[in-house]
Amino acid sequence: MTEPIPQTTAATPVVQCRDVQRVYQQHSVPVYALRGANLTINAGEFVSLAGPSGSGKSTLLNVIGGLDGFDSGEVTVGDIDLGTLNATELAEMRLNNVGFVFQAYNLIPVLSARENVEFILQLQGVASEERQERANTALQSLGLGDLGSRRPGELSGGQQQRVAIARAIVTDPVLLLADEPTANLDSKTTSELLEVLQELNRQQDMTIVTATHDPIVMGYTSRQVAMMDGEIQQDSATAA
Amino acid sequence: MGTLTLLFHLSLRNIVRYRRRNFFLFAAIAVAVGGSTLSNSLIRGWQVDMLETAVSGLTGHIKIQAPGFADDPSAQNAFSYSKPIVFGEQTPILGFAQRINLPAVISSERETRGVSLVGVDPAMEDISLYRDFEVEGETLTGPEDGRLLIGKMLAETLQTKLGRRVVVIVEGADGKSRERGYRIAGVFEAPMEWSEKMLVFTGLTALQRTVGTDDFASPVTELSVVLQTDEDRVAARDELIARYPKLEVKDWRQMQPQIAEIVDLVDAIMVIWFILIMSALTFGLVNTLIATVMQRTQELGLLRALGMNQRLLLIQVVMECVGIMVVGVIVGLLLGVAMVFGLGDGIDLAAFSESVEAFGMSTLLKPILTIEDLLLFGGLSVLVGLFASFFPARRALKISPLMAMNR
Repeated sequence: MTEPIPQTTAATPVVQCRDVQRVYQQHSVPVYALRGANLTINAGEFVSLAGPSGSGKSTLLNVIGGLDGFDSGEVTVGDIDLGTLNATELAEMRLNNVGFVFQAYNLIPVLSARENVEFILQLQGVASEERQERANTALQSLGLGDLGSRRPGELSGGQQQRVAIARAIVTDPVLLLADEPTANLDSKTTSELLEVLQELNRQQDMTIVTATHDPIVMGYTSRQVAMMDGEIQQDSATAA
Repeated sequence: MGTLTLLFHLSLRNIVRYRRRNFFLFAAIAVAVGGSTLSNSLIRGWQVDMLETAVSGLTGHIKIQAPGFADDPSAQNAFSYSKPIVFGEQTPILGFAQRINLPAVISSERETRGVSLVGVDPAMEDISLYRDFEVEGETLTGPEDGRLLIGKMLAETLQTKLGRRVVVIVEGADGKSRERGYRIAGVFEAPMEWSEKMLVFTGLTALQRTVGTDDFASPVTELSVVLQTDEDRVAARDELIARYPKLEVKDWRQMQPQIAEIVDLVDAIMVIWFILIMSALTFGLVNTLIATVMQRTQELGLLRALGMNQRLLLIQVVMECVGIMVVGVIVGLLLGVAMVFGLGDGIDLAAFSESVEAFGMSTLLKPILTIEDLLLFGGLSVLVGLFASFFPARRALKISPLMAMNR
């Protein structure tokens, strides 16, 4: 049973990766996606994992989020050691502690925007009334108060990604993971969305980790982790 | 409960979402179930018809005869009784009839044929095929009536007709032949051809006078008992055996074992037939459902990424599959019921009369649909749906949450 991790204060590690290796087999040839990655992310940080395709940034993001496993090393989210969890416990950990924003929005097409946001709360077993209230609050905070009844197909890309963010934050996760969240958006919408993420980080102290190769995104984050060939090459704070 | 409601809504909306493809699935299921329902109702109708034909022939549910009559059907092996027949509590009867039923030879001016000469009391015969005869001329007026009622086909064979005289030769209770002239009072048409060809009726008392002797004036060769339901048959038979130990008491299953076996087989045939049809359907269903899951790999991966565990994902996929099946089955059952009602008057098999009578059937096949059969088909169909959902569900379980990251 993975209980929700209590919200942490600044300088408390939310994510700790030690010597994390991830090796894929391609036609019996080992491909090293992560080569002993070490990374600590503290509460309230807005971190970008940057690097070209194949650098391992998405793999590291997936490992941190419990979407993918790792072959050696140690990964903890809060005080949960992900290496000890089975598939069901990992699902529970994701449900209770991590919010995800995907590049392709990944909203459930048969549900309305509000139902998409409510979906996770429903999986958590939150009562109907509270669910609706929290979903409405999340949607309104992202400027989507009037669009709750629309299905994803009736929303623009930017609106869909906002709904995805609303879905990711509605459970008050300790960690928000975003994989190339702006890759499908135009520059104006990208800026708007990044401002939303920055605001979440600054006003609500939400810990956000995003994988990106977009310099604009990196410019909004408070810390850049540059990756290459499965290794962390550089880890630096920015002025953002 | 809330999670199940969520999964139910998701399943329902996904079914509606792929409405075109699912329409064809529904249609395939509905046609298969509807067709099975119709064919099984015809098979059930055949079964009931065989049972009714067996009972409403001259057999009844139970027949009482003298020992040895079955092997040597002559008036010498007849019996008589002085006290009225009494039926106990275990024998709830609809009616009974005593008869003389003997092999005889009937001759017209032109032809001669072997027949069964049956002496009846017409008032007692509303439990047998006698009641269904369409008679040209007159029916027998009572047990004293010494005229004949013959079948239309026999009349054609003998090249005789209503009002003519024929000669009948039959063996008497003393073993000597009796030859007597009879006038044809009526010519009957019957649902079963064999009865038109083989049966010749006259009054019971009149025939007893012909075949009886001074010492054995009121011979009876059979006493046919029709019960209120076939379910009482065994208890009634046992009671009659105990009551008349010197006579031979047999039920219709003992007298017509082949028909009895076919009747028993029909239940198995129905289930086997249904399973065959549904099995063929299952292959198509599994294929389509797996394709559905494959098409939604990213979506199902997303559900897992968001924290839905494998058990809930399994339930969701099974719900969708069973949902499709249930809707298709309901439509199919309604379609089947509509077709059965459409065939309410039955199918006329007169063109194949000889063949169908060989199976102990009448020439009018009426479909019969029972609630039990509908529930059986519905239940089996849902089981098939559950079975079919196993394969896409297994495929869905292999979907990793990483699939959500596919771009």
